Amino acid sequence: MVERTPILNFFTHLVLFVGFVFCVAPFAIVAIAASHNLKDVNDVPMSLLPGSDFWINIKTAWTTADLGPKLLNSFIMAFGVAAGKVIISALTAFSIVYFRYPGRMLIFWLIFITLMLPLEVRIVPTYAVVANVLEPYQAIMDLTGLSWLIEQVSGVRVTLSLGLLNSYSGLILPLVATATGTFLYRQFFLTVPDELTEAARMDGAGALRFFVDILLPLSRNNMAALGTIMFLWAWNQYLWPLLITTDQSHAMAVTELKQLIPNVGGAPEWHIAMAGTLIVMLPPLIVVVLMQRWFVRGLIATEK
Amino acid sequence: MTIIKRGFAALAAGALSTALAVPAFAEPVKFDFWFGLSGDLARVVDTLCKNFNASQADYEVVCTSQGNYDATLQNTIAAFRAGKQPTVVQVYDVGTATMMLSGAYKPADKLMEENGYKIDYSDYFPGIARYYATSKGEMLSFPFNSSTALMYWNKDAFAKIGKAEAPKTWEDVGADLKALKDAGYDCPMAINISANESWQLMEQFSAIHNQPIATKNNGYDGLDARLEVNKTKFVQYVTDLKKWYDAGLIKIKSKDLGQDMVQSFATGTCQVIMSSVGDHGTVGKTQKEGMNWDVAELPAYAGTERKNSLVGGASLWVLSGKSDAEYKGAAAFLNFIHDPKTALFWSTNTGYIPVTKSGFDFMKSSGFYDKAPYKGREVAIASLTASEPNEITRGVRLGNFTQIRAEFGTQMQAIFANKVSVQQGLDTLVKNGDAILDRFQQTYPGKTLP
Amino acid sequence: MEKRVTFGKWTIGILFAVPQLLLIFTFFYWPAGQAVYWSLTLQQPWGGGNIWVGLDNFRSILSSADYWNSITASLVFAGISTGLAMFIALVLAALTDRQLAGSWLYRVVLIWPYGIAAPALALAFRFILAPEAGFMAVVNQVWPGVWDPGLDGSDAMASIIIAFSWKYVGYNFIFLLAAFQAIPRSLIEASAMDGSGVLRRFWDIQFPLITPTIFFLLVINITESFQDSFGIVDIMTAGGPANATNLMVYKIYSDGFKGLDYSGAAAQSIILMLLIVALTIVQFRFIERRVHYR
Repeated sequence: MVERTPILNFFTHLVLFVGFVFCVAPFAIVAIAASHNLKDVNDVPMSLLPGSDFWINIKTAWTTADLGPKLLNSFIMAFGVAAGKVIISALTAFSIVYFRYPGRMLIFWLIFITLMLPLEVRIVPTYAVVANVLEPYQAIMDLTGLSWLIEQVSGVRVTLSLGLLNSYSGLILPLVATATGTFLYRQFFLTVPDELTEAARMDGAGALRFFVDILLPLSRNNMAALGTIMFLWAWNQYLWPLLITTDQSHAMAVTELKQLIPNVGGAPEWHIAMAGTLIVMLPPLIVVVLMQRWFVRGLIATEK
Repeated sequence: MTIIKRGFAALAAGALSTALAVPAFAEPVKFDFWFGLSGDLARVVDTLCKNFNASQADYEVVCTSQGNYDATLQNTIAAFRAGKQPTVVQVYDVGTATMMLSGAYKPADKLMEENGYKIDYSDYFPGIARYYATSKGEMLSFPFNSSTALMYWNKDAFAKIGKAEAPKTWEDVGADLKALKDAGYDCPMAINISANESWQLMEQFSAIHNQPIATKNNGYDGLDARLEVNKTKFVQYVTDLKKWYDAGLIKIKSKDLGQDMVQSFATGTCQVIMSSVGDHGTVGKTQKEGMNWDVAELPAYAGTERKNSLVGGASLWVLSGKSDAEYKGAAAFLNFIHDPKTALFWSTNTGYIPVTKSGFDFMKSSGFYDKAPYKGREVAIASLTASEPNEITRGVRLGNFTQIRAEFGTQMQAIFANKVSVQQGLDTLVKNGDAILDRFQQTYPGKTLP
Repeated sequence: MEKRVTFGKWTIGILFAVPQLLLIFTFFYWPAGQAVYWSLTLQQPWGGGNIWVGLDNFRSILSSADYWNSITASLVFAGISTGLAMFIALVLAALTDRQLAGSWLYRVVLIWPYGIAAPALALAFRFILAPEAGFMAVVNQVWPGVWDPGLDGSDAMASIIIAFSWKYVGYNFIFLLAAFQAIPRSLIEASAMDGSGVLRRFWDIQFPLITPTIFFLLVINITESFQDSFGIVDIMTAGGPANATNLMVYKIYSDGFKGLDYSGAAAQSIILMLLIVALTIVQFRFIERRVHYR
């Protein structure tokens, strides 16, 4: 910092350290639970001294839930969702903020409302759509009489059908279809000084040029933050992947954890369950570390 | 695990011989089986599936755990509505009424008959068969994982108060808990009062005491059944439990509070619990070193003519809309599950009980109940077969029973937190439960339970 | 908010929005539309048929005292957890942005709570908050019976608020940090040269510049505390004791997902949605005015 502020610095370290402890403690408890044996992990209160079975439990969890390929699947899914959100929301926010057309606010609100009904609550009808993505379009064609018209003219009965069950697109697309990102970009784009836009236009840059060359680089911090959060969110999705993937080759790490979570009336093998949970939580935590490098100091000097 | 291995070797040998006998051109017919168990139980189901696949070459069952019972039913419905349903699905006991009205199943008895399997339905323990059968006795689904509730008691603690046997009546329980408390035990008995404990506390109690839970023979005879637990012996039972809780003889134990009921017993903290026979293995595996304990049938009030207790668990349904080849596979699979040898494998690796007399006899004759970890589990069969099930004790067939159980948990919590009196709480349970039943009935206009 | 400078060809502009519009139409509005239809009928779960009941579902829900309790509980939950999660994250992000020694560690670790998996959250908070195990057991030893989430509704509510706020501190922290970091160093240094202290600079320069992000987080936090809370409720309290933590979204989840009452759940979803939309409109109208976009 610019000046010396010893008292404030002490205070800063203190608060951050307390925050650090609060954030790490639950993870530490999980790691300790993962090091106990069946009896110790069920003791009340569970001992905070680590047991000796950590690697055995990790190994058991890894092999019983067959986590290797599942982690890869999870990675593809979470990366797909994060990338999809980062890109698609940026496009939409650009459209809403930088163009003036009728229905612009309607579009914003249409997108915004998607935040308000979680997937878990509309899971049955959404499943039906994923089982045949073209169902809505078929229904529209049938309703408008378009199918009938085509059938009359060409003699062909149109049946649109494209199933996405047990596929990465079926996993990813419904999760991309929400509004968090669009709203975030809108907030940021509104802070970008108009002078930049004017200068770009004076240089003869079109909308696309401006978007790619100026707006996106400026959005770097927000993209990194959004990407990280969406990765964590998608990684931890449970109900949706459970429903969509019945075939083992597409199973996700988090859903496979259910193989380890004790059933009521089953053996309370929480040590194994926590070892598995620890493995499954590790990749997203590493992603957090890597994404840090994307954060950069602000480049634009906004005029106050 | 040795039994699994031995079974494996035998089955592998069997598979090898069929592979040699049958020309290799036929791909096995695949069909899906979704189930709702997790943890070690899911692994046992997976092994069961592998064993079935290894036992013959014509069919291959693909077994997918959906995590728990709720998710299994929900996901199956979503899949069914989109035409992607599994062939066989495990549905929990309280989902039976919904399944029967769904029109989405192929009756299991018909399936077996069509595919040339002769199942002796009288071989099932009547208490289990009639829970899942229609009021006319047809088996629309096959009982799978089954259990009943028992009382677990700590012999060491009871020895201290001069008792060598478990209390048989609730009057004795009251006296014994008092004695245990006086002998210095801080937690003589543990109960939990969440939605799921409706099974132990309300349903089992009502069956054993021959008390109805709802009119119309507990719902078997029509969708217009309504609850009546606010005017049966159950009221006295809750009153006693509450009295003992207030006197410190009973503690509430649940996972949310730090320790669940079963663990509180296994660690010796609490001396009596009522829980599923399925927890027998868990207690054995996690118990305090050297602790002496045993199981007994649930107590009954003095002067009660004791009836059978209820089964809990789930049954296997075969869904409609699949091909004949898949149905053939499903029939073979159900037949495999029905086999006494499978019963032995299943009960050895889980805490569930055999569902047929022949399975039970086979296990008895192979010495299952003589050895240490399994000894005592035969009490569950005794409890289930204490009497021939009558119109009331055969089971509970109410729509949306999951929500009624949730309402049970809510009202019990209100009662134990002194927010309402016992009678008020049970009256509200009946009122809100009836609203749920009313809604269920309206959803199925003109339909009747088979 | 409006931009003064925009691009002329709005036909091209609309094209930018098309991918997302297609996605939300297919995977959100079409299925959600079915839910709206369900709310006006009594729907048999297996698709065996339905009967039209008009607004009966809404009437029966809104006439239930339990449901109004559930609305109150949701509002309390949303208000307190949003406040907690945002305030704590703001303090932590502002302090981390001072970039003292070791700040890289904080930048990583303070995001982690959002990455916790549900089973881990359940186990950890059971250990911390369960009255008979771990941390709160100590408190109960000093003041017996003070903490009893099993039977005391407000203790149970406090438990889920703590768990939810803890998770969303991680969420808010990363966006706030991104916003703080985007403020050019030169601005702050210039102000320091003028002799204004650290706190002054925070209120005069940094805080106004991050208000767009704070507004974003406020709206999202309130929305998510209505939506994303059912997992935590399911794991920690299952809506109990005696309905004290039966939040609106959990009630939808348990009625629809567990109880198979699709019509009742759909009607509740629509009520919840209208409530959040109303809250959001209020925020856009009254709070966004105070946001400094430039």
